[in-house]
Amino acid sequence: MSDAAPMVLVSRVSQTFRRADGQKVRAVDDVSVQIPEGQFVCLLGPSGCGKTTLLQMVAGLLAPTQGEIRVAGQCVRGPAPERGMVFQKDSVFPWMRVIDNVEFGLKCRGVAKPERQAIARRYLAMVGLAAVERAWPRELSGGMLKRVAIATVFANGAAVLLLDEPFGALDYVTKRQLHDVLLTLWGAGASGGRRTVLFVTHDVDEALLLADRILVVHSGRIVDDMAIPAPRPRNSDSLLLPAMVANKHRLLAHLGLEVAPAVPVLAQ
Amino acid sequence: MMRRERWLSLGVLLLMAALWQGLSMLFRAEAVPGEPMVPGWQVLATRTLLSMADYWPGGFGVPGVVSGAARSYAAAGLAIVGNSLDTIVRLYTGLLLGGMLGSGLGLLVSWSRWTRRMVQGPLQFLRMLPLLAMVPLFQLWFGIDFIGKIMFVAYGVGVIFFAGVVNAVGNVPQIYIDNGLTLGASRLRLYRSVILPAIFPELRASVLLSLGTGWAAVLGAEYLGAQSGLGYIIVYSEQFGYLDRMMLMALLFILYASLSYAAFDALARRLLAWTPQTARGIVIE
Ligand SMILES: Nc1ncnc2c1ncn2[C@@H]1O[C@H](COP(=O)(O)OP(=O)(O)OP(=O)(O)O)[C@@H](O)[C@H]1O
Ligand SMILES: [Mg+2]
Repeated sequence: MSDAAPMVLVSRVSQTFRRADGQKVRAVDDVSVQIPEGQFVCLLGPSGCGKTTLLQMVAGLLAPTQGEIRVAGQCVRGPAPERGMVFQKDSVFPWMRVIDNVEFGLKCRGVAKPERQAIARRYLAMVGLAAVERAWPRELSGGMLKRVAIATVFANGAAVLLLDEPFGALDYVTKRQLHDVLLTLWGAGASGGRRTVLFVTHDVDEALLLADRILVVHSGRIVDDMAIPAPRPRNSDSLLLPAMVANKHRLLAHLGLEVAPAVPVLAQ
Repeated sequence: MMRRERWLSLGVLLLMAALWQGLSMLFRAEAVPGEPMVPGWQVLATRTLLSMADYWPGGFGVPGVVSGAARSYAAAGLAIVGNSLDTIVRLYTGLLLGGMLGSGLGLLVSWSRWTRRMVQGPLQFLRMLPLLAMVPLFQLWFGIDFIGKIMFVAYGVGVIFFAGVVNAVGNVPQIYIDNGLTLGASRLRLYRSVILPAIFPELRASVLLSLGTGWAAVLGAEYLGAQSGLGYIIVYSEQFGYLDRMMLMALLFILYASLSYAAFDALARRLLAWTPQTARGIVIE
């Protein structure tokens, strides 16, 4: 793949749902975006604006009503392990113990038992769940389940990570620890390169701390595309940089929390 | 708590037995002279039990009544064991065959949404069809010996499993399938590691239902053409008004049904250790 070709190419994609009451919902409305390999992109926007829908289409779980999505040059036709997804809803298999869940993707790829067990243990330790590897999912809290899902997807080592509010249910401390885990994983892609990440969040600070680029979504459209060039590693102090403060004001304005001076709206 | 419940159900059982005894003393009517309509326990435990020797053809050093020997408890015991085994082997061969064919077919049909929709109509029709109405048909198709009976049981059970599996697969939450697919599961792996375990809780109801239906089917088949088995003894007894023997058979059914239920329950508990506590409580207890 040449450097110029984007890792994820979304061209004029729309998704229309017909609800049970017959009403039509245009969840994603003529969205186009190019994401280069190794970029960490955050999707930010109010509830119901189409973030999950967009992510599901990139994952291949949902066919676009219109338009086309390409990942690594290939047209997306269905789900594949190169595109790992942490779902917004609980997705951990309740009939497998925690460690078997984390091993599942590796098992599908035919990794031998001792090796995949070692990998699973490593990721379970990273998300702070080493102690519960033999537990049933029903014995875990909501935040712990989320961490199992994260460890499962991370252990599977996809080139593109699609993360739908992965840390939404977690406390502040765990969240900050997992940011570090995620950033480490992001930097440890195949052949030393970076993985490509699409990260959905409602948390403005989280987006600013993690992202290279923030896409603001509103009513199924991308209404702003912001580069976040602050140097890494970032910490709470990074948020105090003048450029970051400006970005934060701009984001808050998009969310309707502040009246900002002339927010530049991206031409569709 | 569990212990108290056990004692309670044991008490109820004893009460029912006592009630039966009371009834037998109250209603002294006889079906044919010497054969009480409501046989009490003293009859069941002695004369009825001994009469089972009539169904022993002889063997294992215990001569049969047909060859001139007197009735003995040894022959009676052997007759009960032998005839029970006949019925149980027919039942479980049929159950196994029907269970495997029914669920296999159900999984196959669940492969795509189209095939699932296609069978939905005919399936309802098959479930409506009264099972026992089909006994003569199966006898003509498969004969009245072993094959005919197990095919009949397999049919009755197979329909239940087929319907159960098709429904259960339709109820598997999409998120688990999506999760499996994005982690790289093949179709086969998805069936083995996601769909099968996901449908098992719902399928447990089908298994219990099929145990009941299986008994009904094997007895139905034995009523109409068998030379051995519990169903055969019931039909034979009816012709002579031996109500006590029929009662004894009923007691045997209760015993066998409870045993198989307990065995399956223990197995299901182990296989379903992962399910949330509440769901387990309501369905099993
Ligand atoms: N399967 C569906 N059928 C009908 N409508 C749907 C379906 N999935 C999503 N929608 C609608 O599409 C719109 C976008 O939903 P989506 O789940 O993508 O929002 P979201 O941005 O992820 O919201 P949140 O932040 O609350 O998760 C909503 O109006 C929702 O009602
Ligand atoms: Mg969402």
